[in-house]
Amino acid sequence: MSQAVLLHEPGPPENFSYEDITVADPGPGEAQMRQAFSGINFIDTHFRSGLYSPGDLPAVLGREGAGVITKLGEGVTDLSVGQRAAYGSVMGSYAEIRNIDASRLVPVPDEIADDVAAAMMLKGLTAQFLVRQVRKIGKGDTILIQAVAGGVGLILCQWAKHLGATVIGTVSSAEKAAIAKTKGCDHVILYEDVDFVEAVLDLTGGRGADAVYDAVGVKTFEGSMAATAEFGTVAHYGAPSGPIPPEVFGKLPRDRFLIRPTLPGFSAKRENLLAMADDLFAVVKSGGVSIEINQRFALKDVALAHVALESRRTTGSTVLEI
Amino acid sequence: MTKAMILKEPGKFAWEDIEVGDPGRGQARLRHTAVGLNFLDTHFADGSYPAPGYPCILGFEAAGVVEAIGDGVSGLKAGDRVGYCPIMGSFAQARLIDADLLIPLPESVSDEQAAAQILKGMTAQYLLRQSYRVQSGDTILIHAAAGGVGALVCQWAKHLGATVIGTVSSEAKAEFAKARGCDHTINYSAEDFAEKVNELTDGAGVDAVYESIGKDTFLKSYSILKPLGTLVMYGHASGPVPPEEFSKIPMDRYYIRTTLQAYTDTREDRLAVAKDLFDTVAAGGVKLEVGSTRPLSEADKAIEDLESRKTTGATVLIP
Repeated sequence: MSQAVLLHEPGPPENFSYEDITVADPGPGEAQMRQAFSGINFIDTHFRSGLYSPGDLPAVLGREGAGVITKLGEGVTDLSVGQRAAYGSVMGSYAEIRNIDASRLVPVPDEIADDVAAAMMLKGLTAQFLVRQVRKIGKGDTILIQAVAGGVGLILCQWAKHLGATVIGTVSSAEKAAIAKTKGCDHVILYEDVDFVEAVLDLTGGRGADAVYDAVGVKTFEGSMAATAEFGTVAHYGAPSGPIPPEVFGKLPRDRFLIRPTLPGFSAKRENLLAMADDLFAVVKSGGVSIEINQRFALKDVALAHVALESRRTTGSTVLEI
Repeated sequence: MTKAMILKEPGKFAWEDIEVGDPGRGQARLRHTAVGLNFLDTHFADGSYPAPGYPCILGFEAAGVVEAIGDGVSGLKAGDRVGYCPIMGSFAQARLIDADLLIPLPESVSDEQAAAQILKGMTAQYLLRQSYRVQSGDTILIHAAAGGVGALVCQWAKHLGATVIGTVSSEAKAEFAKARGCDHTINYSAEDFAEKVNELTDGAGVDAVYESIGKDTFLKSYSILKPLGTLVMYGHASGPVPPEEFSKIPMDRYYIRTTLQAYTDTREDRLAVAKDLFDTVAAGGVKLEVGSTRPLSEADKAIEDLESRKTTGATVLIP
């Protein structure tokens, strides 16, 4: 027997129930893990509320975790029992023991602790494709990060600074502005007080930003497109403020690149996933990016974690201790 | 005297004397030697695109010889061979023009070739080398592969080591595109181009689609893009894409809608685009073809022939 948090019906955080479950042996191509930590992300609240389909019920939510491999299914050759491993973007991390598609597991180097690995796989790999693939960020680039004090935002901010870029970030409060500044954000804009498009154009001599990262959605996206420089790239990688009406995309100015990148898309091939994880681990080991775990909850208290996330009071990463 | 084909009002041309005058500050006076003809001219001739005012002089690309320069012009002198695009006013034996816009022509490119192809050639340059940088081993799809830009894209992409798939509307055009390096042609009036591309690429799709058709093909063009592939939209012959279609575009693909303007808005950029074109011509990667020539005084009739699709290849008007 082992413990997991089950969702029997989409709805409020009270719908979570902490229960004993039985986990079968891993099937072909699968690995079984004893998890040490699960990450927790804002998107989890959408799967819980039913805004996004959680799949078959009861469901185990959570999309990133780290722990140790305890069993291997048939045909898994590049992992071993006893190895530390982590993953992002695979549902089912709110559990003590789980089976998982082994091709999605990444071995974790000794220098990276379990909690850090669990906290950064989804957000860190997302940041990786955003600053290193969607557009290769480097010296001389100016980028705009919407909601820079969020989980992905703070990693993006540090990584882009590490690569030599100038970072402009938007936040919703002075408290979040202060956090962004401690992570190297060069210019912080309070987007509820200031027209961020004007501010970005002012800061860039009218050019706009070379890359704009927007996972806020309907509230900001039209402005994000307007704040992008000629031949700049606007990446829309999530929409917690609500989906973007189709006609808004039609307002994309000429001569700007638009992409809606996803982690599954960029990491579909295992070789790409491993290379992206290597790149992420290297930047964390070098100190270029530090992963701030600012909230910790026990697995059974996941409902409290969701309340905290939905109240917008969290900063940096949140983990569940298992 | 200097003559020009004047558009008095939509649909009404006259071949008349004009006064060109001396170049002002920053200007050059150019004696045209060859003038290009484009579909754009037909849209202005029939009034479907409004001109800035009437009477006006159409024509958007030409080659010629510098006759005189105004104050403040450097790097250019009387006697230089130059070309330009896309600047309105080339259906004339001579004109004044901002000297900044002129592109010196190398010996390997004739005046007629420049007048016929400089606009299309510079378009092919930014498409293949800037909007999406084609690499050896890539597979690309070009719509209207036998069109003016399409024929250059086929040759140049092939030269860069890409596999080129092109859509065409007839067997004759398929032959024309194949002769210019298109590996696979798809007659889109006879077969579903997306199905055919899937077949040709074993379901892998293509690295880039060069899209100039618009609403009739947009989502299908997207459906054959590899993950992280790029759709470059540089025209919409069938009409603009309805905004609601943007919500159906797949994740993990790049989109850019673009024009030559953005790639040539500084002198430095214009010269760099032209240099890459001329270097590629010199290396044998691209041939600048002249379809036919006729006198500039028949520009009105040439426009009619172009509109009724009686011409093949680029028409060059001789002043």
